[in-house]
Amino acid sequence: MKKMDRILLRFSEENVEEPITAQVILELGIPIRIVTATIDSHGGDILVEVPAVHVEEIVKAFRDKGVVVTFPKLIDVDCDKCFDCGACYALCPVDAISFDEDYSVVFDEKTCIGSPCGLCVNACPARAIRLVEQHSRNQK
Amino acid sequence: MVISKKGNGRTIAKINQKIKTGDAQVLTAEEMKKLVASSGVEVAYKEVDVVTTGTFGAMCSSGAVINLGHADPPIKIQRAWLNDVEVSHPGAAVDLYIGATMMSDTQPFEYGGGHLIEDLIAGKEVEVRATAYGTDCYPRTKLNTTITKDDLNQFYLLNFRNCYQRYVCATNSRDEIIYTYMGKLLPRFKNATYSGAGALNPLMNDPDYETIGVGTRIFLGGGQGYVIGEGTQHDPNSRFGTIMVRGDCKTMSSEFIRGAAFTKYGTTLYVGIGVPIPILNEGVAKKTALLDEEIFTDIIDYGVPRRGRPKLGKINYKELKSGKVTVNGNRIKVSSLSSLKKARKIAETLKTWIANAQFYLSAPAENLPTDSVCNPMRQTEEIAFVNGVTHAAVTCRDDEDIEAVAQRIISKSVNHVVVINKQGEIKGIVTSWDVTRAVAEGKNRLDDIITKKVVTARPEETLEAASRKMAQHHISALPVVDRDKKVVGLITSEDIAKLRGR
Repeated sequence: MKKMDRILLRFSEENVEEPITAQVILELGIPIRIVTATIDSHGGDILVEVPAVHVEEIVKAFRDKGVVVTFPKLIDVDCDKCFDCGACYALCPVDAISFDEDYSVVFDEKTCIGSPCGLCVNACPARAIRLVEQHSRNQK
Repeated sequence: MVISKKGNGRTIAKINQKIKTGDAQVLTAEEMKKLVASSGVEVAYKEVDVVTTGTFGAMCSSGAVINLGHADPPIKIQRAWLNDVEVSHPGAAVDLYIGATMMSDTQPFEYGGGHLIEDLIAGKEVEVRATAYGTDCYPRTKLNTTITKDDLNQFYLLNFRNCYQRYVCATNSRDEIIYTYMGKLLPRFKNATYSGAGALNPLMNDPDYETIGVGTRIFLGGGQGYVIGEGTQHDPNSRFGTIMVRGDCKTMSSEFIRGAAFTKYGTTLYVGIGVPIPILNEGVAKKTALLDEEIFTDIIDYGVPRRGRPKLGKINYKELKSGKVTVNGNRIKVSSLSSLKKARKIAETLKTWIANAQFYLSAPAENLPTDSVCNPMRQTEEIAFVNGVTHAAVTCRDDEDIEAVAQRIISKSVNHVVVINKQGEIKGIVTSWDVTRAVAEGKNRLDDIITKKVVTARPEETLEAASRKMAQHHISALPVVDRDKKVVGLITSEDIAKLRGR
């Protein structure tokens, strides 16, 4: 499988009505996978996966059209609190949580889908997992 | 080095002598298993003096006894709170017991006795609030102060059930997420959880308790503690042994003692325990070679809230540690609730302590019992269950005419007809009211009047829970279904009222 990168597209109230995502796909001819979308007429976020080799040109294309593009951190794990039990492991629907050889719990932040899921957050007995709010609303 | 003759055996005194001179051979349980596999039990017995074990898991029956010292004017505490966690006052004036599962009044389910113990061990200052009725000798009725562990005369971990030899694997048959002491269980067997270190577990490496008993010195929470007897619910015949332990919290580290919160269940304490197994004879050596794949446990349906939760199968710890189990023919992910990483670190740390002559073995004054039993509670009030009042349900298929259903309501003189498919699985419910409404509104198709989202009961549910459901949903009957959604009967509010009126 091609290596994919995740980027977060932030639309404002001004540009949310424009078919920007479709325009970028048509102009560049590069497929974009939408992972999650939280969006309404006031703006919002779309989390997309793009081929890593094209990430720069895609980011530029979105930015040229007034979209705020970031490389999102969707989840925050406090390693001091985590005691590597792994209560979170079996709850992850996208297999972003695994164990390495010494039984450390490992989070793959690039695979995690963040706030639409969050199944692991309240399952952590150490309360070490936090979803990172993307603060899309009312932010230009 | 003199190797003791076979049959003669080692003694703890001899091992301690070797620890003193730095000659003791110590392996972790994982290393011992490898040695036995490669060189055999005889060689392993000859070469190894001590095997170290470890476990780090949620151990709810834990707590700490503290002595505050006397106030002036003195107080005989009646009720007390530390960081808003109510602690119990079981003894004289200023002795308190912090229960790991007691929850904060202000942050229930998030902060509790376990966190409080961890905070004190970490050196944090905590708030003390107490009330009393006042006596001639202890006149004070109110107390507010702050303390750290250094201000306490005694601060001892005193855990009455720790270190389960093994535990079950939990999953959930219900249609909803359930939050249990075995963690968060997704609906319809979508995940599973387990606990325990398997072949690294202390009691599993001495399953007949030949070396462990009252007075066995152990690694406890990063310090040195003692086994003070068998734990509550110790059940040696089912290989569910437990230990009671005590240790000085002032020597412990919050690396190995952690407060924890189980959502919608409560707070607890994660405790790190490591027990050294002296390899006294070849038999003891052989038992420390036990592998994860030889330790089996049951897969249990926690969706059934009864003492006798259904067993769905058996699984060994090797499979559990692989992260995947098979439940009802499906491969699902299984989470460990205890930390295998910390369990290993504990076994390693204990090994280092012994190798560096910082830890000596102690012979138990009395071994753990091997014949005690764990009985269920004696109950003097009768609990009524759904299956006690369930009667046969009148059923129909969803392709029948409304008329046929109406006739059945009359001929059987019932108000509820349960809609089922070919396999007998529930598809909906039709009431006499629905049929009446169909006539009034001119509806002809049964499908238009079926209630498809049906509230149901399970045979093993208590009647109390079932009648609560009826009240909540403003309904007068519940189809009773088994785990496969097959209809096994019906209960009505009338049935329950009759039983109550008896």
